[in-house]
Amino acid sequence: MDREILRRLESLNQLRLTEEEKEKVLSFFEMQDKEITRLGDIDTEKVERMVHVMPMNNVIREDVVNKVFTRDELQAAAPEAYDGYWQVPRLVE
Amino acid sequence: MKLYTAKSENVSGKPVVLDDTILTKDMPTAAGSKMLDGYMSLFDAEIISKLKDAGFGICGKANVGEMAIDLLGETSYYGECTDESGKLVGASAEIVKNGEAVAAISMDVCGSSARAAAMSGLVYIKPTYGTVSRFGTIPAACSGECVAVSAKTASECREVLSAIAGHDDKDGTSLPEDKCALLKADAPRSEIKKIAIAKALVDSASDEVKALIESFKANADGVEFAPIDANELTYAQAAWNILMSAEVCNNVSKYDGVKYGYRAAEFSNIDELYTNSRTEAFGYLLKSTILFGSETLSEDNYMKVYDKALRVRRVIVEYFDKLFADFDAVLMPVSSKTAYTKADTDANTYIAYDESIYTAPASITGLPRAVVGGVQLVGKAFSENSLLDLATKVRKEGK
Repeated sequence: MDREILRRLESLNQLRLTEEEKEKVLSFFEMQDKEITRLGDIDTEKVERMVHVMPMNNVIREDVVNKVFTRDELQAAAPEAYDGYWQVPRLVE
Repeated sequence: MKLYTAKSENVSGKPVVLDDTILTKDMPTAAGSKMLDGYMSLFDAEIISKLKDAGFGICGKANVGEMAIDLLGETSYYGECTDESGKLVGASAEIVKNGEAVAAISMDVCGSSARAAAMSGLVYIKPTYGTVSRFGTIPAACSGECVAVSAKTASECREVLSAIAGHDDKDGTSLPEDKCALLKADAPRSEIKKIAIAKALVDSASDEVKALIESFKANADGVEFAPIDANELTYAQAAWNILMSAEVCNNVSKYDGVKYGYRAAEFSNIDELYTNSRTEAFGYLLKSTILFGSETLSEDNYMKVYDKALRVRRVIVEYFDKLFADFDAVLMPVSSKTAYTKADTDANTYIAYDESIYTAPASITGLPRAVVGGVQLVGKAFSENSLLDLATKVRKEGK
């Protein structure tokens, strides 16, 4: 892990770290790297991935509308809304 | 110190407090984050109707660490909670300890609520994954997190767990009703007779924690204990930290300051709106988790790190399966120490990642964990009643 990778991760995740935070995160990544290396002790070549811990089936229901929120209800929590739309800065100059 | 983030004036029924990661229509839900400060949900979590049907009332929402991924709530936007001695405490656990609620309902993501129950001397049960609906809870690490219960006694834990367990069509990971019914208070269960002690985890804990393990053994009349090496379980820590971080990274990517949640005051374009909002609203631990999770999912690391962690998860599950052929449960610490202060979390801001060595085995496998007498017992899937029966015995409840 280096500062360049960290810069890329910040950009990908829409975050910006202070210099102090960057130092902390770099040492945190170093710590995690050691743990990741330790996982190499376990031979998993013939082990299948386990995404769900319990057997899961697709959940299927009748195609019936059972609850609908109105636009006003949904926009009640919006930081900025205008005339039924979520408001954001101009996207096209 | 802020134990409650919201309080209900009129409580009808036996009072239960909810961690602030559980959505409520009539009280705000922030998950300890500035991002969701003041957020009002349009619906209640599924467990709320189940609690009300069983005669419980919601007395308030309790302060939690941001997205419940920290040690003991120290990353909350509303500040950490401490007791009169300066010891870090979980807010909902402290509310139960103070007698203001009969039980607390929490999201167990990385064991924060389990640690909190231990620190406050409560009994705690994190059920088998998929037996209690997660519909209406704020997601962090969906493949392992569970709704959990803490109370002063094992019987109160059982009463609340029995009320909230059940299949829910609205939760895609909810197990069928016949499985969920195994958690009901009157379900048939077997007695725990033989317990393995996870030596690798006990050895790494403090002398005070080792004494708690000895005390548990002394109080578990008629139970046979046998130490096992259990080195395999120590690998759960790294694997769960990887999976949890990747899932948190994905789950919080929706918080962008547009449809709901915090929006920065200063921005000149949409990218700045996103970046400034997220940068100003998220705390250090969540930011670090997002970045680490994102890195584990990158093209360079996906197979080496994320995929590896998924395979290690199966290794841990199979290890427990083998253990449970000879033992009924595994005894281990829930934390390395019996108390933490702000100085501990200030000195090591990533202490929650370190301490997950004790909580990751149950988190990554979805197995039930009980906390009693400050230590942790991990049981077979659907063995909640057996774990709580043993907790009753160890605590000498009803005697």
